[in-house]
Amino acid sequence: MDFLQIASVHKAYGTPEGTSVRALDDVTINVRNNEFLTLLGPSGCGKTTLLKCIAGFEDLDGGDLILHGRSLRAVPAHRRPFNTVFQNYALFPHMTITQNVGYGLDVACVKKPERNRRVDEALEMVRLSGFGNRRPSQLSGGQQQRVALARSLVLKPSVLLLDEPLSALDRKMREAMQMELKNLQHSVGITFIFVTHDQEEALAMSDRIAVLSQGRLQQIGSPVEIYDAPANEFVANFVGTSNLFAGKVVSRERERVVVETANGRRLASQDDRFAVGDSVKLVLRPEYLHIVGPGQGEPGCVLEGTVKDTVFVGSVMHIHVDVGFGRTVTAHHRHDRADDEPGIAAGAAVRIAYAPAAAHLIAAAGA
Amino acid sequence: MFRGFRPGKLWSALFNSYGFLFLAFLYMPLALIVVYSFNANPINMAVWTGFTLDWYATIFGGAGVEGTFDVAFTESPERIFEVVKNSFLVATTAASISTLIGTATAVALARYRFAGKRFYQALLLLPMLVPDIVLGIALLIFFVGAGFHLSLLTIVIGHVTFLSSYVFVVVSSRLAGMDTTLEQASADLGAGALTTFRRVTLPLIMPGVLGGFLLAFIISLDDVVITYFIAGVGSQTLPLLILAMMRRGLRPQITALAVVIILFSFAVATVGMLLRNRKS
Amino acid sequence: MIAGDTVRSRRRRALLLLLAPITLMLGVFFLIPLGIMVVYSFLEPGLYGGVEWNWYPYNYGRILGWPLNDYEEFDPIYLSIFLGSLKVACLTVLFSLLICYPAAFWVSRMSERRKTFVLFLIMLPFFANLLVRIYAWLLLLRPTGFINTLLQSAGLIAQPLDMLFSNFAVIVGMVYIFTPFMFLPIYANVEKLDYSLIRASQDLGATPLQTFLRVILPLTAPGIAGGSVIVFIPALGNFIVPAFLGGSKVQMTGNLIERSFLQSRDWPFGAALALLIMASVVLVLMIQFTRTARAQARGAV
Repeated sequence: MDFLQIASVHKAYGTPEGTSVRALDDVTINVRNNEFLTLLGPSGCGKTTLLKCIAGFEDLDGGDLILHGRSLRAVPAHRRPFNTVFQNYALFPHMTITQNVGYGLDVACVKKPERNRRVDEALEMVRLSGFGNRRPSQLSGGQQQRVALARSLVLKPSVLLLDEPLSALDRKMREAMQMELKNLQHSVGITFIFVTHDQEEALAMSDRIAVLSQGRLQQIGSPVEIYDAPANEFVANFVGTSNLFAGKVVSRERERVVVETANGRRLASQDDRFAVGDSVKLVLRPEYLHIVGPGQGEPGCVLEGTVKDTVFVGSVMHIHVDVGFGRTVTAHHRHDRADDEPGIAAGAAVRIAYAPAAAHLIAAAGA
Repeated sequence: MFRGFRPGKLWSALFNSYGFLFLAFLYMPLALIVVYSFNANPINMAVWTGFTLDWYATIFGGAGVEGTFDVAFTESPERIFEVVKNSFLVATTAASISTLIGTATAVALARYRFAGKRFYQALLLLPMLVPDIVLGIALLIFFVGAGFHLSLLTIVIGHVTFLSSYVFVVVSSRLAGMDTTLEQASADLGAGALTTFRRVTLPLIMPGVLGGFLLAFIISLDDVVITYFIAGVGSQTLPLLILAMMRRGLRPQITALAVVIILFSFAVATVGMLLRNRKS
Repeated sequence: MIAGDTVRSRRRRALLLLLAPITLMLGVFFLIPLGIMVVYSFLEPGLYGGVEWNWYPYNYGRILGWPLNDYEEFDPIYLSIFLGSLKVACLTVLFSLLICYPAAFWVSRMSERRKTFVLFLIMLPFFANLLVRIYAWLLLLRPTGFINTLLQSAGLIAQPLDMLFSNFAVIVGMVYIFTPFMFLPIYANVEKLDYSLIRASQDLGATPLQTFLRVILPLTAPGIAGGSVIVFIPALGNFIVPAFLGGSKVQMTGNLIERSFLQSRDWPFGAALALLIMASVVLVLMIQFTRTARAQARGAV
């Protein structure tokens, strides 16, 4: 049985000019129990609005939220068994840490001994025992973050909603908190719905990722699915970077699908979900492209061109290659000090090859 | 922040001496009253004839001062006490009601989306912008026409109409400075609207609410013009008594009374400022 | 779905509850009285105070010269008093501006701590009772007052100067009373002023006067306009200051209104005069609102 259903949810905002903006447009997601689900998208894509709708801070214009078969539409925020970790933590500045964490228990009229026990437990869980009498302003950003987590988890919600909770932390702290959050989710066994615009964060932490853009759900799937088989151009470009070739499927034989671009360039793929004549885009991830010597590489899976420039970023070298017709392709060349580096420098002629299984096809926009 | 602005020494000196003159302009007249209030000369306050506390004694009640000045021009301590009592009664009541109304309105306009919000925002500015005398006579016409007996009650009503706006402005600015996610967090943790208001919103805007109350209190206490039109025969306030006394002539007793009023107002204003500057 | 059960309708109920008091208060005790005042200005004055419920636009005729009937006659004194009030209000605005403008720069250059303290000092006199502040100026300006006594004892003048009961006294009193009103909007504006622009102007070769006229003044214009409006409105309708500092020599429209209500008991005429004041106030506010709206529109582009 489904746990939490987000069923064709609609939400529009009026603008000062009198027009209305679709913040959420027919979004449907079946949230599973105990999963770490990430809502990923650029700012303004509707991910935070969706989170607010789930929390109950915003009313739906259409659709429904169903938890264990019961609609939540008429349930106000304070009666929903969900808790939120806010982007700015929203710790009550006039209360101590203990009072903050105990707030939800107090308003639920939990008896003092049990309240105190659970607050202590929660603080221990986030490694803040002994900080109970301090004020939020006396804690560091990371500590405030953990108080916010404890304050929500102490209520044992069925879903924990996290609104870009790591965005205010510096890089090191953020990476440490990513692991901590992931581990916490495993140990408490609560569904986490996590909002972020950071694709690396999403890939690193999630069981599943839902990619949103302009109020619409673009794709939902595991990090590997999202990365290797993006559903459309938006996902292909937003999650990681992609080289895209627009064209038509011209032949389809056994495990070999050939796409021809308008310039007559032919590229092969193993993705056989499209029929001959379909307009498609062929997606090539930069790290699946390899520099090969003359004669190497599978026929139909090779691009030839000249190196425009190279950018060394440490683990890999970004190579920008002009492959003709004004197209530039980016390849990520794994940097290895032990290898003999081939002569990759601006102006050099190179051959780039890929495995046909690495080329993914998506429907061309508007097709 | 603007440390970059470094006018020459001459300009700095000019600005500073101007500032000194500006403050002197503001405080010299008040200082003059204070000095005069201790002058024993009953005829001309500008000519110093000796130090006395007699004029204060005429306010607070003291023995043996009856013969030293023109009795006909002096209000008895009992009379002064009565109008002070009236003033405080009006100011406390009007400020309390205005604080409730103004705070409720500020919360409504800051935390809810609704059609007609702009109308309310403009409407709330009006009582502060309409000249006192216009509001005073409009209320007088209304109260007389509607059969109200002019009394302390009509004064309270009249004051609340414009004091609510002042409280609204003060509380609104406090609400605007408050992080709304705190209220969402409270709701998220299971608190209903009332609990959220009582335990999160109210404690955080309390300095604004108290500041608004004090501002309303002091404006009500000081109000002359509107009260002048809507006060009844038996409902004189302190400013109205002073107005009547000033019309009869300038007397040392008024000077002493003025000093007491200045000191009290300044004390309330100071408390108000301390409240406002307190970081939550 | 039950209508009374959604989150939205629950919030709507709370909103109605929060807005009900102010709506009642301002509706019944503010808008209705102002409306009745407008109606009264078109009614016939009763013989012994009060009104007769007859259409009677002639109250305005007495002030403006039209319309008139057999009983009411036009007296230009009312218009000249109104124009005099306008003049006094404008001069009050001008002088408070001249006094407050440099003061705002003086304060804006201070350290944060001193700034808070000096701002408090500037606001404080506002809290002293209006009458007390007028009383102080009576003590200063009257023939046997502080200034005359000082000048006479210094041998600078033989006869006391006639300062009281003049436009001068009224304007000085009003400037004193409204100083905080003018100071705050200007200060808020000056405080935000980016001094690097002044340096840029100097750097581009402008003289101090050019810098002031072409950079500083335009940038602080919103504060000047705001302060002027806030001072102009109460100055125009004032009757307490002219009553004491103007005596019988300086009459302002406020004094006429007061007298029609509390002495001659000609309420419709007083109401008509009050509407004249209101019309001027509304006009000034409208100019200010369109000005700021236009400035905002420009800023948004």
